[in-house]
Amino acid sequence: MADLAELAGAAVEAARDHEAVEAYAEEARRTEVTAHKGEVEGLTFAESRGIGVRLIATGRLGYAYAADPSIDEVRAAVARARENAELATEDEFNALPPAMTVEPIPALFREDQAALATERKVSVALDLEHLAVSADPRVAKVDQAGYGDAVSRVAIASTAGVTAEYGRTDCWAVVSALAEQDGETQSGWSFRVARELGELDWGSVAQEAVERSARLLGAVKPASGRLPVVLDPFAGSSFLGVLAGALSAESVQKQRSLFAGLLGEDVGSPLMTLVDDGRTLDGPAAAPFDDEGVPTGRTELIAHGTLMAFLHNTYTARRGGTDSTGNAQRGGYRTPPGVGTTNFFVQPGATPVSDILRRAEGGVLIQDVSGVHSGASPISGEFSVGATGLRIEGGELGEPLREMTVASTVPEMLKGIAAVGDDLRFFAAVGVPTILIAEMTVAGV
Amino acid sequence: MLDRELAGQVLRAGRARGGSFAELFVEERFSLTIRLDDGKIEELTSGLDRGAGVRVGHGTSFGYAFSNRLDRDALLEAASAAAAAVAEGTAGQVVDLRAQDPPVVHRAERPVEAVPAAQKVAWLREVDDVARSLSPHVRQVSASYGDSIQRVVIATSDGRWVEESRPRVRLGVQVVAGRDGIIQTGFHGPAGLAGLEFFQGHPPATTAEVAAKRAVTMLDAGPAPAGEMPVVLAPGMGGVLFHEACGHPLEADIVDKEASVYRGRIGEVLASSLVTGVDDATVRNAWGSFSFDDEGVPAQRTVLFREGELQGLMYDRLRAEKDGVASTGNGRRQSYAHPPIPRMTNSYILNGPSKADDVLASTERGVYVTALGGGQTNPASGDFVFGVSEGYLIEGGKVTSPVRGANLTGRAIEVMSAVDAVADDFDTWEGVCGKDGQGVPVGSGSPSLRIARITVGGTGG
Repeated sequence: MADLAELAGAAVEAARDHEAVEAYAEEARRTEVTAHKGEVEGLTFAESRGIGVRLIATGRLGYAYAADPSIDEVRAAVARARENAELATEDEFNALPPAMTVEPIPALFREDQAALATERKVSVALDLEHLAVSADPRVAKVDQAGYGDAVSRVAIASTAGVTAEYGRTDCWAVVSALAEQDGETQSGWSFRVARELGELDWGSVAQEAVERSARLLGAVKPASGRLPVVLDPFAGSSFLGVLAGALSAESVQKQRSLFAGLLGEDVGSPLMTLVDDGRTLDGPAAAPFDDEGVPTGRTELIAHGTLMAFLHNTYTARRGGTDSTGNAQRGGYRTPPGVGTTNFFVQPGATPVSDILRRAEGGVLIQDVSGVHSGASPISGEFSVGATGLRIEGGELGEPLREMTVASTVPEMLKGIAAVGDDLRFFAAVGVPTILIAEMTVAGV
Repeated sequence: MLDRELAGQVLRAGRARGGSFAELFVEERFSLTIRLDDGKIEELTSGLDRGAGVRVGHGTSFGYAFSNRLDRDALLEAASAAAAAVAEGTAGQVVDLRAQDPPVVHRAERPVEAVPAAQKVAWLREVDDVARSLSPHVRQVSASYGDSIQRVVIATSDGRWVEESRPRVRLGVQVVAGRDGIIQTGFHGPAGLAGLEFFQGHPPATTAEVAAKRAVTMLDAGPAPAGEMPVVLAPGMGGVLFHEACGHPLEADIVDKEASVYRGRIGEVLASSLVTGVDDATVRNAWGSFSFDDEGVPAQRTVLFREGELQGLMYDRLRAEKDGVASTGNGRRQSYAHPPIPRMTNSYILNGPSKADDVLASTERGVYVTALGGGQTNPASGDFVFGVSEGYLIEGGKVTSPVRGANLTGRAIEVMSAVDAVADDFDTWEGVCGKDGQGVPVGSGSPSLRIARITVGGTGG
């Protein structure tokens, strides 16, 4: 069986004169174990590999992919990409990036994790469920308790001279706990990722899920009003996803971002600094190069409230007359690169969470929001989302609240940030500390 | 894609240690996606996906292994890996494989491969022209055309051999409109389990018009009111709510995990007597339909609510065996890379006795919802939330000005019990439903209906 570099190389060799061809090849081996009632509920092993071919001829872009291809099928994919390019619109900014020096990040791949025995993975999943159902008498079962991991490799080659390859290991634990009392059920969720099992704190995943479900028991609908709102990192990370789309140069260039035309302007509170950093090992999305082989880097998007930059891949950078920020991202080999975040986070502040709660007297802590994808628009910046949380009384978390909706606009919310906590927490590739918003509309009854 | 003899060997390898059953799912999928954005045909993507998954069941536990290689060695290796999840026991039996007759066939009259890609590109160009000519306020149009043919072979240790080819087509259009610093979007995306004849009934130009009108109309929107009030849902939208709020908690895995608000309540009246709801995979050429589910069980129609009374759940094979009932043919998966789980197909609220005009005319004050942006539900408590992407005020029985930033929140049983009018103007809405990291095509549908009281979240008073 050909290795990834050979597959990618075969695509590049199939290029004709005046064609730019890039091949993105990846392979992954994944294991997932879920536990339920003390037994293994599901055990999944997966092996996959594939290649995506991007071909540019006279400024026209065509794409084709194939799962587990032979060398002949790679050549056939190049031919299909060529046919597709003929029907696409010519665009002078379509181009492949030149070869650049990539600094490897060896810490992304852990030999021990790649060799971890299945029995160990099973025992972690069982332990995760056991910890979740034995921490609190009101939490006797879970909706989900699982461990998963992946060992993956990526290779990129192009007629522009790119030849880049790297491997990584990732593992994760997730628990969704169910708390019950007097016929009422509440759920609470937690999730952590790491590069190897030794760095994965699955005990805290179980504990957090339990606490977050149990503390919602007895929740009531709040009265409507304008209140101070504290977003805990779980809730904050949902909103950050909306900002990610709006800060991509692709959205800006297509007039699909609320930040279009605002570079250099104040878009948020001076307490807010927002960063994308593809190299920091603090976040799980670190990688030596992006999905078209450009080295990753650190970009300050918003610095002390001022909009400083957008995220770019090679296409948007050419169109915008700037350099790629190393933010080409794709959903695997099946899609050509777009623009996306790497480790995307709000820089933590100096305020302890206890101080934030004291300053939010009479307000609410939002612990989860739902419907952000449907209820928040990265284009208009308006949102109205469902939320669960707790009332803040005397600097402490009090009565649980449900069936709340929180409505505002992203610009108002960013400007209304009155404190940023010191407790930065990453959820997948998005990181955020606890944040105090001076005032938002909370609707209930 | 493979012969029956090899399938039999794979199943025997899967049952080497026993377990309750073994299943082989093989898939090959050819797809074409064309994206138009910013006035340009940005890219065309051709895809070839293929792979096989082997599942070995043991009670409600299972082992699953998949590979995108289809050779004998890879398939036998996957079978051994899946079998390893089962505690050591004696080998189980594999019954001779017999081909099953489909209960319904969803034919593509005009197969996607018979039409050159240039024609599909032309439809997208037409979409762009129509949307932009509708109003000077249209700022941006993005549209995507997608077709795929998924060929599946399913073989099970109890002797099932199923072959099916599923043709799917979809055209989705998103329009951005802007005026005086206000930006609004509109989306429309009809889809079918069909060939290109689908676009005769759903012309690209009409799809473009619907999306563009949605965006442009919402430019005049004022803040949505907040508080409890009557809400009238336009045709199709009640189906979206039914899918999220009632459908998910009626999936048997959710019930089995005791995470469903409907658990143990079959036979109770848990919705208005006006509500009869079904899940139906046999609707010909509907987006969520098929001939067999992804476990090889024939497509069927399952009544969930009859005049408000809860009738039953949606089952896959594992959960059905546990409850000692037959699968309802709701075992679905995104691809060979995913084990099947209970999923909806086409979930519909059926027509009622009222006329839509009368329903609106008899509503003094409330909100009329013509497009929902999707939503989320907590099946354990029944709490749900939906974003309203197109909505209007109802004042004095008349639909008046558009409102923005609204959402609907409530609890499944309360809200379904509060339905006090159901009209006879059924329509559908197509989407991709996500659950446990798997997306599958689903249809939803309903006539116009009114909820007497529901919480509307908005920024206005």
